[in-house]
Amino acid sequence: MKKVTHFCFLGLIVFLGKTQAQFASTGTTTVSVTVGSEAAIQINTATTTLTTAATTFADYTGTTNLTYKIRTTQGSGTGAITLRVTSDFSPAGGPSVASPPTAGDLLQYTCTIASPGTACAGTQTASTGSDTSVGTFGADARSAAAGNSGSVAWTLTNDPVYKTGTYTATVTFTISAT
Amino acid sequence: MICQCGRDKHLRRWSVPVALLYAATFVVFSCSLSGQVYGYATQGVSVQLVSAGVLSVPANLSLAAAGSTFNNFTGSLTVNYKARTTPSGSASLTVQANSEFSPSGGPLLSNGDLTFTCGSAGLGSSCASAQTVNTGVSRTIVTVGSNACTGGGGSCSSSDPASVQLSFTLANSPQLKTGAYSTSLLFTISVV
Repeated sequence: MKKVTHFCFLGLIVFLGKTQAQFASTGTTTVSVTVGSEAAIQINTATTTLTTAATTFADYTGTTNLTYKIRTTQGSGTGAITLRVTSDFSPAGGPSVASPPTAGDLLQYTCTIASPGTACAGTQTASTGSDTSVGTFGADARSAAAGNSGSVAWTLTNDPVYKTGTYTATVTFTISAT
Repeated sequence: MICQCGRDKHLRRWSVPVALLYAATFVVFSCSLSGQVYGYATQGVSVQLVSAGVLSVPANLSLAAAGSTFNNFTGSLTVNYKARTTPSGSASLTVQANSEFSPSGGPLLSNGDLTFTCGSAGLGSSCASAQTVNTGVSRTIVTVGSNACTGGGGSCSSSDPASVQLSFTLANSPQLKTGAYSTSLLFTISVV
């Protein structure tokens, strides 16, 4: 009789253990996210047309508008907007960034960058061989949710040696953040 | 458990709750006897099943963004649940945030930054449109109608437990400060 009683009691314990699952009338989940540094840029002027105001070889000018979004790391982060001429003027016979027909022919620009950015200082000379500065950002720099504005005002030497025609170059803007 | 074994044929009676519980396992845990002849008595057992509901959720959900150009943070979790409703009853699964994201400087539930959509429900109907997660405001995930049950197929759900997947989206605004943030979501199943 005693033996039978012990066996039945053991079976009861096992059964109770199986009913104790993690199901309950409520449950809690912790939702977490790590927000890191990020950057994005949008060029609003798809094609910047450089024009000259007169017919007396005044320099060609034009403006490229952009919108940027940025978030740099608190405490030690930085950010930058740069540009580079990734495809020189073509066809041949007109202006050239890499090999101007006359020494001193330049494609230059000045910068405007809304806060929290700092615009490039003075006049910059565009290059095909390296990135040149448009703006910089410090630690914990955060743009508006919709982005902040910026622009680049171009100046291209109007050399009489250029043949008449339409010439096109490609400029690539890059934004980065740490 | 009523046991008349061997030399001792006296009836043993346990408390009613234990008796009912044990009755369900009677066919599995039968007394092992050595081949001797014993006398048996039978007793009818009945149980009244009432409405019930339980759920299970993962302890953690991490949201992540693809790339580094302010794509929204996303992630999903599965809620497993069991429910039984009466011929005139119903059940519902809901979720609400216990508190804002912390620490400060990150996402804000009060801005509507965190939303979710529902996949199909294994039992009942899931939410049809995107829901915003708020503190103190319950959002319905699944509603279960009358005479519903989990598992077994037929008039019950085909799977046990039933499940529903929730897909979360957290707005990735440049205004958020860098860092790690978290909040707690409370899931509740209610049965009437």
